[in-house]
This record gives sequence, C-alpha cells and structure tokens, in this order.
Amino acid sequence: MKPKSAGTAGCVLAAAGVATILVVHWMVAFWVPTEASMGVVQRIFYVHVPAAWTSFLAFGLAALASAAYLWLEDERADAAAVAAAEGGLVFGALMLTSGPLWAKIAWGTYWEWDPRLTLTLLLWFTYLGYFLVRGSVSDPRKGRRLAAVVAVAGALNIPLIHVSVSWFRSIHPDAVVIKPDGPTLHPDMLATLLVSLAGFTLLFLGLFCLRYSVEVMSRRRPPAGAPPGASS
Amino acid sequence: MRELRWIWLFAAKDLRTELRSGGRLPAMAAFVVLAGFLFAVSLDRTQIPSRSVAAGLLWLVVLFAAIAGAGRTFDLEDRHGAFRHVLLAPVSRRAVFLGKTAANLVLLWLATALAFVAVTAFLGVRSPGALVAHGAVLLPGTVGLAAVGTFFGRVSSHSSLGDTLLPVLALPLLVPVVFFGATATARVFLDRPWPEVAGPVRLLWAFALGALAAGAVLFRHTAED
Repeated sequence: MKPKSAGTAGCVLAAAGVATILVVHWMVAFWVPTEASMGVVQRIFYVHVPAAWTSFLAFGLAALASAAYLWLEDERADAAAVAAAEGGLVFGALMLTSGPLWAKIAWGTYWEWDPRLTLTLLLWFTYLGYFLVRGSVSDPRKGRRLAAVVAVAGALNIPLIHVSVSWFRSIHPDAVVIKPDGPTLHPDMLATLLVSLAGFTLLFLGLFCLRYSVEVMSRRRPPAGAPPGASS
Repeated sequence: MRELRWIWLFAAKDLRTELRSGGRLPAMAAFVVLAGFLFAVSLDRTQIPSRSVAAGLLWLVVLFAAIAGAGRTFDLEDRHGAFRHVLLAPVSRRAVFLGKTAANLVLLWLATALAFVAVTAFLGVRSPGALVAHGAVLLPGTVGLAAVGTFFGRVSSHSSLGDTLLPVLALPLLVPVVFFGATATARVFLDRPWPEVAGPVRLLWAFALGALAAGAVLFRHTAED
C-alpha cells in the first residue's frame, strides 16, 4: 500500500474507532446491565478484553511482518512490523493496567503469578526488547534484521499463552464468548463486548496505517545536507 | 553425518579455546559458588526450611550462570575478527549454532554440577533425593538454557548495549524453564515418585527441542556482520 493511501485509510479507521469507543463508553455507563456477582467493577471487562485481543492481534501481525521481512527483505514489511509492535505495546500496556484494577476488587490483589498473566507480561517485555535491539545496533539494516528475529522468536509465546489456561491451574477467568457450546454472556453484555472489540480493532488498524505511512515516508526522506531531489 | 561432524568440530574448537584462554569457566564457577554462599547467608533458615527454597535457588543460580556464560560466547572471536572466518567454513549456519550451543552446554553442565553441590551444601540440605532424577531434570533444562542463551548471545553481540541487552531478551523466554525445572527439582528434593516429576520434565524436553529447532532455523539471520 502507498504511504499516502495508508495515511488516509488510517485517519478514517482511527476516527471510526474513536467514535465506536465513545459509543462503547455510553453503553458501559448507561446501557449494559450490572453483573450480579462482581458488581460495577466487571465493566472493566469491556476495556480489558478488547485491549488484550488487540495487543495479541498486533503482536501476531508484528511477528508475521517480521517473518516476511526476513524472507523477502522488503522494507515495507519491516515498517509494518514496527507499526504493529508499537500498537501491541500500547494496547498491551492498557491490558496489563486494566487487569490489575479489576483483580484488586475480584481477587483482593493487584497481581497473581498466574501462568497466563505471567506469560503475557513476558511477551510484552519481549517486544520491549524488540525496540531495544532496533535502537542499539549502529547499522540500521542489521538492527531491523535482528529485531525481526526477536519478534519471530517472541511470538512463539503466543500459542503458549492461549493454551496455558487449560494446561495449568489458573485463576484467570475462562473464555465466555469463544466456547464450543456458544457464548455464556447476557445478550446485552455480549453486544457491548462485540462493539468494544470492533472499536478497539478499528482504532488499532487506524493507528497501524498512520504509523506505517509515517515510517515508510521517513525512510524515503533524503538525508540532511543532501541536494534537492535526492532520496536515501 | 557430515553436519554432525561439523557440529562436533565447532564444539571441540570452542572448548579447546576455552581451556586455553580460561575465561568463562572459572568466572562461572566462582559465580555459582558465591551465589550459593550469598543465598545461604541472606536467608533466615530458622524461619524458612532449606529444602523448600533449594530448588528455586538452584535454578536461579544455573539460569544466571548460563546467561553470564552465553554473553561471552562470541566475544573472543568477534574481538579478533575470527567469527568472519568461521562463517567462511563450507557448512550451514545451523551447524555453527548447534556447535556453539553444544560447547556452552558442556560448560553449563560443569557449572550446574558445582551449583548443585554449593546450594545443597551451603543451605544444609542433608538428603537431596536421587541424583539420577536430578540429572534427568537438569539435562533438558540446561539444553534449553544453552540454546536460548547462545542464540540471544549472538543477537546482543551486535548491540551497543551488549551484555545488558542479553538478559532483557533471554529471560522472558527462559521463565518456563525455571518454572518447570524448579517444580520438578523440588519434587525430587522431597523424594516424590518419578511419575510426579515426569510431567514437568516432558515440558522441559519440549522447550529444549523447540529452542534448538527455532535457533537452528533463525541463527543464519543473526550470524552475518
């Protein structure tokens, strides 16, 4: 995709995402019923679950784009990986802060060393390492290649996080939507969750397109001191 | 068969260099003994039974020794520009990675044996359980540590952050090794029957083989200058 088209698409998607998330806030505050056992605190669920979904989508996309970069050595794949990994860190930070706020009320503690929580935190740190590698290698091309390797190796953690709830004893709540016998949520709660998932996904895709466009254009910018018309 | 011979040659070369230069092994040995000593003096053993913490402390000592050793894997060759010549050998990058991992593994086994003696002796663990069972737990765990350490040792050797970067990259991926390893070792310390130990050991083997396979596939992207 051309950077200018990606920028335009990014603006449209991000605006749609922000509008949808505003609707979600109205639904969470005034429309959705309060959950019987946990009370008001359960409403964090409508932010936490979409943030988790979006961060895993972003990290998965970063790993796929990084694998494509290692295979094809196409700069656009690396730009896509950077944009996705940044999104993953942002939405991952939202997931890792909203979860403990809920846990303090539900479990009585901000954090438990539960396998799913621990592995998710470690995945976040792996992608922090991705940016440390990029920034600390003097040759940018080599830095991109090594960072791509880190992204691919780190993504091996994602399936482990998914199966950790069934492999190990976990206090993290089980899935309530994607289940063999169908969702067990109240229909209004399910509707709010689905709208929130759509809003977060649109916002991420918008930010991803904008960041991708900026990254591609910044690499085309001529170096300082170059004659007019020159490009790197 | 030819690749196995190259792996052996690379491992033997690294171990010979290590024996001649004598850099990493004495440092790792001193580290594991001092770490065992420090854990023993910093814990109030009248409040905490040694056996209940020995497994976790043993795996932490082995983990940090592995990271410290792996950080120096490419140091000597990079400093003298010799790694470029290693890459000129008519052999796959996979063999280079597996040879380096094998050499690191031998050094790590020596450090692990010393760590076991140091931790159990300093913490005063009288009957540590069956040594064969400890070996069966430590073997796959150290294979996983050596593979991940060697791989990210190469990545961090390119970086200006050097040894600071290696733990940031390797530790998140090594947490499962410490978790399963410490769980299994704790059960051996408590003389539990083997079927109770076998579950985490199978997961350690799965991790070790996965780490070796991923490292062998991805190493070529990290090897070149």
